[in-house]
Amino acid sequence: MPGWRRPVERQRWASNRANLTFVMHARCCPNIRKCSIERNLSGEADELMGRNVDAPSRLNAVARYALATVLVALALLISLALQKSFGNPFWFFFSVAVILSTWFGRTGPGWLSVVCSTLAVMYYFTPPIHSFAVSPTDLPYFLTFVACEVGAAQLISWRRRTEDALRQARDELELRVAERTAELKNANEALLERMNEQKRTEETLQATQAELARAARITTIGELTASIAHEVNQPLAAVVANADACVAWLSRPHPDLWEARAAAERATEGATRASDVIARIRSLITKATPEKSRVLINRVMKETAILAEGQAARNNVAIELELSPESPVVLGDSIQLQQVILNLVMNAIDAMTTVTDRPRTLTLRSESPDNGHIRVVVQDSGIGLTEDVKGRLFEPFFTTRSKGMGMGLSISRSIIEAHGGRLWAESNGSGGATFQFTLAREDRTSA
Amino acid sequence: MKEQEPTVFVIDDDRMIRDGLQSLIRSVGLRVETFASAQDFLGAKRPDTPACLVLDVRMPGLSGLDLQLKLRDDGIPIPIIFITGHGDIPMSVRAMKEGAHEFLTKPVRGQDLLDAVQKALASDRALRQERLEANEIRSRFESLTPREKEVLDLVVEGLLNKQIADQLGMSELTVKTHRAHVMEKTHADSLAHLVRMAEKRKSSIRK
Repeated sequence: MPGWRRPVERQRWASNRANLTFVMHARCCPNIRKCSIERNLSGEADELMGRNVDAPSRLNAVARYALATVLVALALLISLALQKSFGNPFWFFFSVAVILSTWFGRTGPGWLSVVCSTLAVMYYFTPPIHSFAVSPTDLPYFLTFVACEVGAAQLISWRRRTEDALRQARDELELRVAERTAELKNANEALLERMNEQKRTEETLQATQAELARAARITTIGELTASIAHEVNQPLAAVVANADACVAWLSRPHPDLWEARAAAERATEGATRASDVIARIRSLITKATPEKSRVLINRVMKETAILAEGQAARNNVAIELELSPESPVVLGDSIQLQQVILNLVMNAIDAMTTVTDRPRTLTLRSESPDNGHIRVVVQDSGIGLTEDVKGRLFEPFFTTRSKGMGMGLSISRSIIEAHGGRLWAESNGSGGATFQFTLAREDRTSA
Repeated sequence: MKEQEPTVFVIDDDRMIRDGLQSLIRSVGLRVETFASAQDFLGAKRPDTPACLVLDVRMPGLSGLDLQLKLRDDGIPIPIIFITGHGDIPMSVRAMKEGAHEFLTKPVRGQDLLDAVQKALASDRALRQERLEANEIRSRFESLTPREKEVLDLVVEGLLNKQIADQLGMSELTVKTHRAHVMEKTHADSLAHLVRMAEKRKSSIRK
């Protein structure tokens, strides 16, 4: 029974396994799948043809035939001994010999024992004794005996084969289960390994991205170094001038305390401004993880304008700040948003360095086109965008500057998209370019 | 001549620096006027007194260097003390070549600035004095008649009356009369004084 059901099941298993294997190895080694199926199918064919069943018995075939002969001889000796003592031959011992020979020796030895038993009975026990002839009176009895022998051999042989097949099937099944279990375990391990690997890759990717973003920030900061030096130096110069003035007022023959006090206050103010600049720069460099909070976009824009002021002044660029009177609030990372705006502003200043025939004006504007959104617009009167440049602006490592890394806009866009917004660029009709992004308003959407 | 009260002009776009410098300069008793940009300065009415300019190099709009060139082109001679956040050599060389009086880097030490301001004012005072004198001499010389001018030129060259009379085809007596008029009109005490004034006038015309 299992003999004809198995192949179907096996094929199903094999194909299942094959699918799994395919999924697992398809990318790195497509051959593995084919190999394992072939090996599997050929093994199956062997078993179906019974090669494995016969293999062990063929080794001791001689022993099995010898066993059959010995058993028949033993039956003959017992029968002869019993005939001598009781006069009646106990032929059923031959049946026992045939049964045992067939059971233990399988079919061939079984038939040998049948033939030997028949000959022995013909020779020793059917009159005429010591001849292979059979008297007509004993013929029915003898034939019955032969029929019984043959029947027994046939039956036992069939039974034995069934038994063997069953055992074989069970052993095989166990083996197969063990094999499959091992394979599944391997597959599972491979899968886990792959998952870990993917996780590691993702982690590396994330780290690289973070590093890249940081590198871009630092590059921007590198470009800003002069600006920062100016930003810090400016309040320091104010501190020194005012402190000197304070001392001068106090050193007069009649110290002017009111003037001295005013100067000292301005010195303090300057020092505070210097430390503010440093705090802003620090927050810009820090590897901050995105932290979403309520952000007053106008304030971020104002701070950015202050940061960019030095750079703008050096390039004779006037920054015009047009802030939405509604003071809109968005949900986001204020440092990242400042990074984006600063990047757009710096690009705008760069785009205007070669402009001489018109005022270099940078407009930084926030507006609320509808209740749900805010729009931040950075507009310059610079060289503008050619169609080719416009198409590639946001590609990583695309830059029009000799010293640029080409990451600024690409990172800016991913930051804005991570905030659920949109960042795009347009050419102005009157020359120059407009970069703008939209973000959802937090103060309206939550209300 | 009456000494007018000198004025220091401070031009810086940074309010705190502007106020600090103003306070510092005022503390030594000088008059200060502040401006947030070069344009504001150009647009303002400036008193006719000895003055100097304390000027930030980098400013939005018209930069310090631009202002320096504009003042030179407009013929407004005023000593300039530049202040810069970045001690950038090519820029300071350019500024000095164009006649900057001093070039200081931020943060500026108070005493350095005051010293520079005093020196600049002194130099402006001297220049103004010189200019006044030159103007005075010019106006005196311009009151001479053409004939007197001819006589003057030859006198200054060191010719004797007789030689002048020969060259101009007039009598020695006429030369003497002209000469007396020249001495009188130019307020010259002696021949040497007259020669010095003539030299000064020449050099001021050359300028």
